[in-house]
Amino acid sequence: MNLDKFNDPEIVKKIALSIEQEASKIPKTVKIMHICGTHENSIVRFGLRDLLPQNINLIAGPGCPVCVTSSRDIDAIIDLALKENVKILTFGDMLKVPGSRLSFSKAKSMGADIQMIYSIFDAIEIAKDTNKPCIFFACGFETTAAPTAAALLEINLPNNFFIYSVHKYTPNGVYALLKSGKISMDGLILPGHASTISGLKAYERFVNEFSIPSVAAGFEAVDVMLAVLMIIKQINKKEAKIENSYKRVIRYEGNKKALEFLDRVFYLTDALWRGLGEIPESGYELKDEYERMDAKKQFSINYSDSYIEHQKGCRCSDVILGNIIPTECPLFAKRCTPADPIGPCMVSDEGTCKNWFDGGYGEI
Amino acid sequence: MKSEKITLDHGSGGKLTLKLIEEVFKAEHSLDAAILSEIAFTTDSHSIKPLFFKGGDIGKLAISGTVNDLLCVGAKPLYISSAFIIESGFEIEQLKRIADSMKKEAEDANVKIVCGDTKVVENGKCDGVYINTSGIGKIIRAIDGSDIKDGDKVIVSGYIGDHGFAILNERENLGIDAELKSDVANLTDLILPIIESDLKIKIMRDPTRGGLAMCLNELCYSKNFGFEIEESSIPVREEVKVISEILGIEPYYSANEGKMVIVVDKDDAEETLSMLRNNPKGKNAAIIGEVKSELEGKVVLKTAFGSKRILRMPISDKMPRIC
Ligand code: SF4
Ligand code: SF4
Repeated sequence: MNLDKFNDPEIVKKIALSIEQEASKIPKTVKIMHICGTHENSIVRFGLRDLLPQNINLIAGPGCPVCVTSSRDIDAIIDLALKENVKILTFGDMLKVPGSRLSFSKAKSMGADIQMIYSIFDAIEIAKDTNKPCIFFACGFETTAAPTAAALLEINLPNNFFIYSVHKYTPNGVYALLKSGKISMDGLILPGHASTISGLKAYERFVNEFSIPSVAAGFEAVDVMLAVLMIIKQINKKEAKIENSYKRVIRYEGNKKALEFLDRVFYLTDALWRGLGEIPESGYELKDEYERMDAKKQFSINYSDSYIEHQKGCRCSDVILGNIIPTECPLFAKRCTPADPIGPCMVSDEGTCKNWFDGGYGEI
Repeated sequence: MKSEKITLDHGSGGKLTLKLIEEVFKAEHSLDAAILSEIAFTTDSHSIKPLFFKGGDIGKLAISGTVNDLLCVGAKPLYISSAFIIESGFEIEQLKRIADSMKKEAEDANVKIVCGDTKVVENGKCDGVYINTSGIGKIIRAIDGSDIKDGDKVIVSGYIGDHGFAILNERENLGIDAELKSDVANLTDLILPIIESDLKIKIMRDPTRGGLAMCLNELCYSKNFGFEIEESSIPVREEVKVISEILGIEPYYSANEGKMVIVVDKDDAEETLSMLRNNPKGKNAAIIGEVKSELEGKVVLKTAFGSKRILRMPISDKMPRIC
């Protein structure tokens, strides 16, 4: 695919102009939220906020899978890794996320056997080379849950391979937040990757129940700008429907095969989202048939009641909810930097604070 | 330093490496090679997985890395030492391949390997082979960045990001079917003529670990100037763009092993550029931006849409995104 036309400056400038015209008809500030870490990354990378009129406020929601993984789960696995002869395998960004006391990488320097992997397939290969029980700490939204499911179904997993699932299902998470009134917005940019799996169908009830203009978008500059324009147009027309500006990738029904895999392997259950509490039907848990691989069932895992989701002063949950922007957190770029993150939002390239730090907002 | 133990990030060539150099080794962070009146002296250790990769191997990397470091400070590379740390059980055949490749690269760079050392460690104690190389060169003219001023141009000698992505693709079996290979190469024939010319070269640096982003940031780190870089002028290979999109890692953070960043007086920029472009190793060279004193230690990237953002020094190796 030629990505160039999706980053064509002339097209972007034209869209920016149309956005300005449409926005001038709206007498108030419009809050458009995206719920995708990669969108935030693109917005910062392309400097898109610079191109929007004053009254269009583009904010980040709970879009980073690393950010929403609860300390309770991180603590429990670290605890296990320090006590028992097991190997923990997880994604690079996950390693640095602070739990209540330790991060995986700090636990590693204390002797826990924790290794970074790029995908579940790496993890399986590593398990084949050892007799040690290997636990894959599986985080991520449906985009990452789908490969986990596929691996379970399609590969003969070694006997020493286990999965600890903290996978989460985006649409139900956001739905619950909307319902609770914790987040509010005038328009929603639907996630690019996750929607390829869940499809736009999964968001239909948002639009119906909360009348939120919603547009699915890809990750190039044109994609995001176009989604903003389409949302403002809906607002001006007093409409609220789902539109798809990313037809080259996303389908209304989603990816049927991936959905079927997910359905065969997982069931949805109440899950803890970091800083947001328990959200109904938003976590992927392994079905009973997969008990053999389910680390939660095969190991004695101790959950503490007193886990700390966010350190003192950290405003991550407000950042995730779009209530504040990262620079409003007193720790931002001072005590909290990617080299030494206080909160999870400063860890991964999908984390809002990390993106803002990298892009140097407020510094130019 | 807050964390008491060395982490992999301390070796990533990013901000934490810099901290280690400043706070533990108490070395003044300066140039890639030391300028000692008439000679330049440099040393570097090399570890890489896999040892053999598309476009090169650890041997070629060790020689060209040292040669390029000498060139950076305006020296003509002359002599190299090489010390091997080898894991027992390592195949002699493979060692031969590495040694041959070093020899070949040294010939190509017109340097002599004059001394060396070999240590064997227990199996499992190192990833096959580590190589340390030191190099000595004769200063033609010391290029140390002392006279950088507003308006000086920033040139990069070719496509950015090839090495890092090629290695990542192979090492992690990302299965990205790209004709992508490492750019590892010594730059003697490309850069020596520039050093020998009277072009007003202010500073040079090879953008290795940490990529272009690290290199530019290091050059202006705690200085009274910064860079404004035109994003659309940075040469990036099509394959690299695609991999970059898939992984969510920008090419500016990916390592290069055969490229040079050159800051040159604006009046000499075009001529420098055409000298580079006349050599196959520099045919994709481009002027990518300029020095601005008001930016004070910052690298600002101007996008094609006219928006601006900071290009930050990497903290650690960049990670592919989770989804
Ligand atoms: S769509 Fe993918 S990249 Fe975007 S937030 Fe969801 S999981 Fe992350
Ligand atoms: S700057 Fe750090 S502490 Fe503050 S909200 Fe972001 S991650 Fe949390």
